Amino acid sequence: MSVEVKLPRLGQGMESGTIVKWLKSEGDRVEKGEPLYEVDTDKATQEVEAEASGVLLAIAVASGEVPVGETIAVIGQPGEEAVVSATPPEAEAERAPAAEAERAPAAEAERAPAAEAERAPAAEAERAPAKQEVTFRAVVNGAREKVTGGRVKASPLARRIARERGVELGELSGTGPDGRIVADDVERAEAAPPPDQAPVTAPGELESVPLTNIRRTIARRLTEAWQVPVFQLTVSVEMTHANALIEHSRELNPDVRVTITDLLARVCARALVRHPEVNVQFTEEALLRFPSANVGIAVAAPQGLVVPVIHGADRLSLAEIAARRDELVGRARESSLQRADLDGGTFTISNLGMFGVEQFSAVLNPPQAAILAVGATVERPVAREGEVVVRPMLTVTLTVDHRAVDGAPAADFLRTVKTFLEDPALAL
Amino acid sequence: MQYREAVNDALATAMRADEDVFLMGEDIAEMGGSMGVTQGLFEEFGAERVRNTPISEMAIVGAGIGAAMQGMRPVVEIMYEDFLTLSLEQIVNQAAKHRYMSGGQLKVPLTIRTQGGAGWSPGAQHAQQLEAWLIHVPGLKVVFASSPADARGLLWSSIYDDNPVIFFEHRLLYPIKEDVPEKLEPIPLGKARVVREGTDVTVIATGPLVHRALAAAEEAEADGISVEIVDPRTLQPLDEETLVESVKKTSRAVVAHEAVTRMGFGAEVAAVLQEKAFDWLDAPIERVGAKFAPLAFAPAMEQFIIPQPADVLAAVKKTLARS
Amino acid sequence: MAKVEKKRSLSEERLRDFLREMLLIRRFEEKVEERYRAGDLPGFLHVAIGQEAAEVGVCAAMDDGDVFGSTHRAHGHTLARGTHPNALMAELYGKLEGCSHGYGGSMHLYDVERGNLGANAVVGGGIPSLVGAGLAFKLRDEPRVAVAFFGDGATNTGTFHESLNLAQLWKTKTLFVCENNEWAESTPGWQHSPVWDDMSKRALAYDMHAIKVDGQDVERVYAAASEALDHVRSGGGPVFLDLETYRMHGHYIGDAQVYRSKEDRDEAAERDPIVRLREKLELSSEDWEALEEEVHEIVEAAVEFAKNGTDPQPEDALKNVYA
Repeated sequence: MSVEVKLPRLGQGMESGTIVKWLKSEGDRVEKGEPLYEVDTDKATQEVEAEASGVLLAIAVASGEVPVGETIAVIGQPGEEAVVSATPPEAEAERAPAAEAERAPAAEAERAPAAEAERAPAAEAERAPAKQEVTFRAVVNGAREKVTGGRVKASPLARRIARERGVELGELSGTGPDGRIVADDVERAEAAPPPDQAPVTAPGELESVPLTNIRRTIARRLTEAWQVPVFQLTVSVEMTHANALIEHSRELNPDVRVTITDLLARVCARALVRHPEVNVQFTEEALLRFPSANVGIAVAAPQGLVVPVIHGADRLSLAEIAARRDELVGRARESSLQRADLDGGTFTISNLGMFGVEQFSAVLNPPQAAILAVGATVERPVAREGEVVVRPMLTVTLTVDHRAVDGAPAADFLRTVKTFLEDPALAL
Repeated sequence: MQYREAVNDALATAMRADEDVFLMGEDIAEMGGSMGVTQGLFEEFGAERVRNTPISEMAIVGAGIGAAMQGMRPVVEIMYEDFLTLSLEQIVNQAAKHRYMSGGQLKVPLTIRTQGGAGWSPGAQHAQQLEAWLIHVPGLKVVFASSPADARGLLWSSIYDDNPVIFFEHRLLYPIKEDVPEKLEPIPLGKARVVREGTDVTVIATGPLVHRALAAAEEAEADGISVEIVDPRTLQPLDEETLVESVKKTSRAVVAHEAVTRMGFGAEVAAVLQEKAFDWLDAPIERVGAKFAPLAFAPAMEQFIIPQPADVLAAVKKTLARS
Repeated sequence: MAKVEKKRSLSEERLRDFLREMLLIRRFEEKVEERYRAGDLPGFLHVAIGQEAAEVGVCAAMDDGDVFGSTHRAHGHTLARGTHPNALMAELYGKLEGCSHGYGGSMHLYDVERGNLGANAVVGGGIPSLVGAGLAFKLRDEPRVAVAFFGDGATNTGTFHESLNLAQLWKTKTLFVCENNEWAESTPGWQHSPVWDDMSKRALAYDMHAIKVDGQDVERVYAAASEALDHVRSGGGPVFLDLETYRMHGHYIGDAQVYRSKEDRDEAAERDPIVRLREKLELSSEDWEALEEEVHEIVEAAVEFAKNGTDPQPEDALKNVYA
């Protein structure tokens, strides 16, 4: 069996060597330990001994620079075929190990780590964008200070106070060194706002309410969302069994008041798991698919619309969902929601039924691909087996990001939601 | 009790309680130390446990390392912190790294006491402040007490810490007197002390600069400025929480030490503060330290180089500056 | 200065044990070279080929409670004092199962259970702490010895001199073992030391008892080491053991030894301690083959063990910095 002679790593940090002279010719007999060739490294020209005995069947590299580990010759038995793998070890790593005639023990060790190293960074790269997405949005969703015109010189503390109180730094003059705005300057400005910031009120007429940060944020994000190509799907759902289930749950757990929203959250979550192609987000680089359903509930908080998220709703029981929803809504009303409560949503439910609205279409909650708008449950005449009967009916409308999800899968998802609501046992 | 007596007391108390504690250093026995810190210890504990050494900083520290690895708690003295440089190989390459390189098999509970300090024309080779070099080495702990009570309590804790601890003393602090508790009260490493409370600016100071900052604070009071002074006491590990809390309260920070400003301990503190309290800072962090030159001999030049109370006051005012 | 004249006659069985031990080290080192060249092992390595008799002879004479520190060329001592080849190979491969759990590598091998207080990458760096260990044994009156292994290169360092001086002064239980292989990296003995041809003269300067012996004869080394250890153990003061040996390969793996003449290298090969002992024992070729086979299996198993070892987690790098 022939043996490949590879350029050894003769010293720490050696990446390549230059073959200067072969001390044996093709066809010569070689003994293990005999000097075989001379190589030039950074440090010196040195002789390298043969590591095997036999006949020098072939010299693959007569002279010149060679990377460490590359085959430069083959030693074997007379008459044997000299098989030389021409590619360097890195390329070898990419090919699946084919049936090779020569034994190359060192190459095995080299191949495995190289291939693994390739796989790992690729996997990392896939995960990275999703994380980055969330982080970036977290920054962007946070309140921003406004800079008018050129750079405003203000101390970090002054900036923070200005941000928190909605004071425009650009309109202040600073008393710090070089005209830097310091905290004092902001505090004084707050106490006596400049005339054009005061609300203009002629008796009984126009009132100009300054934009709060949250209003600004909602405006910006939903303007973005509006530019996404969407379509809407509407379906009517008979809520007989759903209502019974909710009644029953309330009897079983008197201290956790289960609502339609809770049931919807559970149903949509299970439907999303069944239709993972709807539990996605569109990005320029890739379509991100989420492994679990984090359902956001639109809540009218005193400061404006917020969407706290029930994470992993597909794995929570109805009672658990209700408890969580209760907690989140409570916090929203007290303006004490944490970043973690708002991040990570993959789907949103917006329910205006309590206002009597029968049907509406919601605007997408970016970057999510779908949102379900829920109206009021109304007793309505419907046809059942040729007869007209009165049933409690709910109209829901799904708004979908067409870049991420097509009509058929979205419709399929909605059908599942309807099926689950009409026969809740299937979803629980 | 004087600072030097406090150090002596900590050593004696530890040696009485524990046979494994012993001392090595130059002139520490009959002479009682070149600064008089180990007076009386030779008489009480004898030559086996208070060992005069030849002038061999490497061997002194190395022997300390070896005995410590065998479970003893040696306290070695390097007479002048400038001479730490001679033993740095043993401190940095050996003591700091045995635990790590062995994968956790060893510990080196060695304490190295040393002192430095300018202001008495000792010349450039007898007055350096090198704590920054040691803080930079993972595996070492660094302590610098500014008062007798702190010195006593912290030296005890240093001796009983299982890691190599460099315990810095300061020549000018030795005669400082303060009332101390009857019994030695250990002070844990890694905890800062608020020396003076205030509301307008935080001065983080070490060693003699704690006292110079106090003087500056008195003057500042007259100008209506309320200065808070915090002494980290342990430089590694650093009590970041206390420092940050103080700066969040006052919104302004000054760091002050006798060591050269450039690349000094103050630079690290400033970095930590801006990292953890960025949005609370109403002014850039000021640093007070020795100017960038070796220490001159002539008094006029020496005084120019080392940081004075006036420098601390100027820094304080700078943080409150208006144009 | 004493030359060992009387031979302590060792049983044939004991000598065979020595041969096996030496051969294991030899084949282990050769395998390490091979694996290094194939690109398996990170960092850089120094093998002790040619010095097996010196190392096995001393290590075999040591007691279980003794401690030692070695140099950058530490595989031999480590194996000879009982660290399993698997644990050593795993350390070279950087695995958790390594004797230093992947934290140390070839030049920082520790096995505290077996008294191995660390190989040291700084020439002369480990010697002072063995004076300290010897001091601890003396203070606690323990019948244990601290053995410092070093090469001829180290005899020029400050730590060496400070250590011998202090050890002799304080009569610490330290044995200084010089493996004079006549080369300090690429510098031959005559170029680096005025007493290169009789290293035991170094001890003379410190009035220290010295023993000189042919390091290639394991029996003589064992006898000399036993005598030296007895002397130190009983409190007779430190001893300097000068072993004249040969470094058959380069300073580190990959060292082309361009600085060494072919004749010198050939001469070194002629003094191969394994060949000498094998000839002395008049081993049959069957017995020799069996021995080779046995050792081969152990070494191969060690490589397998190491290759299949556990890689540390990246975050493990932050553990073990402090006790």
